[in-house]
Amino acid sequence: MIRYCTRCLYPETKPDIWFDKRGVCSACVGFEKRKAVNWTARRQEFLEVTSRYRSQNGSNYDCIVPVSGGKDSTYQVIKLLQNGLNPICVTAGTDSLSDIGRRNLHNIAKLGVDHIEVTMNPVVRRRMNRIALTEIGDISWPEHVCIFTVPVRIAVQLKVPLLIWGENSQNEYGGPAAFQDNNVLNRSWLEEFGGLLGLRVSDLVGLEGISRRDLIQYQYPTDQELQSVGVTGIFLGYYFPWDGYQNALIAQGYGFETWGTMIEGSLANYENLDNYQTGIHDYFKYLKFGFGRATDIANNHIRRGRISREDAAVLVKRRDGKYPSTYIGRPIADILREIDMTIDEFNAICDRHTNKQLFKTDNRGKPIRDRDGNLIPVFELN
Amino acid sequence: MLKTRIIPTLLFKGFGLVKGKGFDSWRRVGTALQSIRVYNLREVDELIFLDIAATPEKKTPDFRQIDELADNCFMPMTVGGGVTTIDDIRDLLAVGADKVAINTSALEIPELVRDGAREFGSQCIVVSIDVRKAANGKREVTSHCGKCATGRDPVEWAREVEALGAGEILLTSVERDGTMIGYDVDLLRDVSAAVNVPVIASGGCGNYGHMAEVLSSTRVSALAAASIFHFTAQTPREAKCYLAERGFQVRL
Amino acid sequence: MTPGLTVVVDYGLCNLDSMVRALEECGATEVECSRDPQVVRRAARVVLPGVGSFAVAMRNLKETGLLDAIREVSATGVVPFLGACLGMQLMATVGTEGVAYGTIEGLGLVEGEVIRLAPQSNDERIPHIGWNDVQARPGSTLFNDIPGAGDFYFVHSYHLRLANMSDETGRSSYCGGFTAAIQLQGRPIFGVQFHPEKSQKNGFRLLKNFLSV
Repeated sequence: MIRYCTRCLYPETKPDIWFDKRGVCSACVGFEKRKAVNWTARRQEFLEVTSRYRSQNGSNYDCIVPVSGGKDSTYQVIKLLQNGLNPICVTAGTDSLSDIGRRNLHNIAKLGVDHIEVTMNPVVRRRMNRIALTEIGDISWPEHVCIFTVPVRIAVQLKVPLLIWGENSQNEYGGPAAFQDNNVLNRSWLEEFGGLLGLRVSDLVGLEGISRRDLIQYQYPTDQELQSVGVTGIFLGYYFPWDGYQNALIAQGYGFETWGTMIEGSLANYENLDNYQTGIHDYFKYLKFGFGRATDIANNHIRRGRISREDAAVLVKRRDGKYPSTYIGRPIADILREIDMTIDEFNAICDRHTNKQLFKTDNRGKPIRDRDGNLIPVFELN
Repeated sequence: MLKTRIIPTLLFKGFGLVKGKGFDSWRRVGTALQSIRVYNLREVDELIFLDIAATPEKKTPDFRQIDELADNCFMPMTVGGGVTTIDDIRDLLAVGADKVAINTSALEIPELVRDGAREFGSQCIVVSIDVRKAANGKREVTSHCGKCATGRDPVEWAREVEALGAGEILLTSVERDGTMIGYDVDLLRDVSAAVNVPVIASGGCGNYGHMAEVLSSTRVSALAAASIFHFTAQTPREAKCYLAERGFQVRL
Repeated sequence: MTPGLTVVVDYGLCNLDSMVRALEECGATEVECSRDPQVVRRAARVVLPGVGSFAVAMRNLKETGLLDAIREVSATGVVPFLGACLGMQLMATVGTEGVAYGTIEGLGLVEGEVIRLAPQSNDERIPHIGWNDVQARPGSTLFNDIPGAGDFYFVHSYHLRLANMSDETGRSSYCGGFTAAIQLQGRPIFGVQFHPEKSQKNGFRLLKNFLSV
């Protein structure tokens, strides 16, 4: 009943996806286009762009790199250092930092860079996580806001105009054609594709005692401030062929640690290691759209010829969308306790956000779970 | 004083919400539930929820889903898409819609409007009219989600549905929908002047200025918008503040 | 919040979920929808919502026996009663909607007739749809603690014209003025023309006031 891309495993339910006449999805089409890219020329462009914005006399940083300590940000820093740049690395604190995540984060500085870690008020943050999970089914919404606002705020404060992000998710994961070749981030891009789900920071004021003064780090600087510094942003993934698996390989050569086994709900052991709440975030993608993180990873491998669609489909069926009883080994009860939520409350929120067209429900419309707590899809990956 | 309403519109197709341009190039934008809950947090004046796949695919409304969505909000909600019988109207009202919007069916089965108004009251029946320019440059009403031309004039059709008993008219410009270049002020002016039931403007809103323009030059009672609330930092509340500053009556 | 069973009368005419949820949101601990006259007779308070036609509504109330139950319960003078929208209109002695000519009998809880709104200018459209302010009578129980002339959500073409203006507790200025809310003197019998369950903050405040009677 659900239509899938003929090349990868993305379903038509995915936001912003479209299929061409061959039944190939926009993400795969985007990847196809990469074959025609002249990477030598792109690298030249990269050097030109960075030379335009970098500090001319070494008295300031050349650029700002938002980093989480993950495979991608580690790779980004390595690449920038190789190209002779002097970045200031900025971390917008994650919600529930894991031990391996903390080690990988501190590994960044060891690459040979200055590093600013901005930690958000955890008392308020946890309330925001709970509100976001309850209202829009996205526990990581506050984190996604900060990932964009914090580095931009620092750009203004330090007067460093150039932000260098990793991947333009539209290039790898597809999106409306008009934006696929976009390599500069701006405010309206964020509102559209940054995963804000229509929720705005201002909506939180007044909820659970949150007031405007708690939300300083979640606000962009004014347009005037952005203009005065000339803040702009580029995606490294536009200038260098981007591959998360390759990034992990390179990062490991510089001290990046991976997990012993595949992360729950995923097909990778080399990403999303820093935040215990990510399992919940990925699970809700599955509830709403019928696919999870395992599908994303599988598709990356399929496009690069590392695994056949058939073999990938089997793996995805085994691992995608499982109830997140643990994440990086931590039990869900412990993860939920941090945001003051019980498992029963969590399950009720799961049910609310489950797309009832995609999963079996009882005759009162409540999703049915199997003995492991997993939903029963009515669709079949094909 | 009766306040002008600002009404976010949610368009549903298949599995989730979509946004389009000129009733085409539909883009999937996420789940209806998320949007409903966000608007609920914001306490908007009213919501319009339209299933645009229902009529083209000859499906009836998804009552279970409407029930669930209605359970997640406390706002007045108008629901439309695929309504073809009195029972459809009854069932939608039963699961939580406050008003039911009828579009293609009003054109094909005008008695549905009349009978619906008699049975449930005019105030429950909204007739949705989609308008575009025909090849000869004249305005015409379309059906089947903008796909079929009817050759009918919107002003005349609006008068007809009012006479049949419609309590409200949702008037949408097909070409402007999703473009954010502004409402079709001429169309809105002509139709709102021709009838005595409330008219809701729809299609093309890109900023608060467009809303003010419509309120100063036409007699519409409410402004519907989708793209600006979904894709930009603009919110219904800010829209109302803007309008209030310029002397329009809105609920703050 | 006064305890006890709140019964929302189900006479087959509209969705009751929003009223039930709103009452629960406002602190009512026991809320039940029922079409059983016996349940209505047992209620600690009764809510009569309604959307639709006066004639069809009265027919349904008669056929189900709810008509008698409602009259009995409100005659006691101690069971709080709230009619909302069509529910308030039904409280009148007679209505005119849905009949070709003449009138039909209403519940008769308050003396008055239900007639069509009469626009006073081209700008006043019928049905009356949207948010409009209500001027509350000073000391009104229902509007206690609701700031100024609060906005409430209306959606109707008819209104209740009271025989005795002393029964009015809230007024709207639309269409030359009409009674937006009623409270019978000395008795806990109330009615509101607007949808309290859809009127967000103000509506919920009003429902809380009713639940505290």
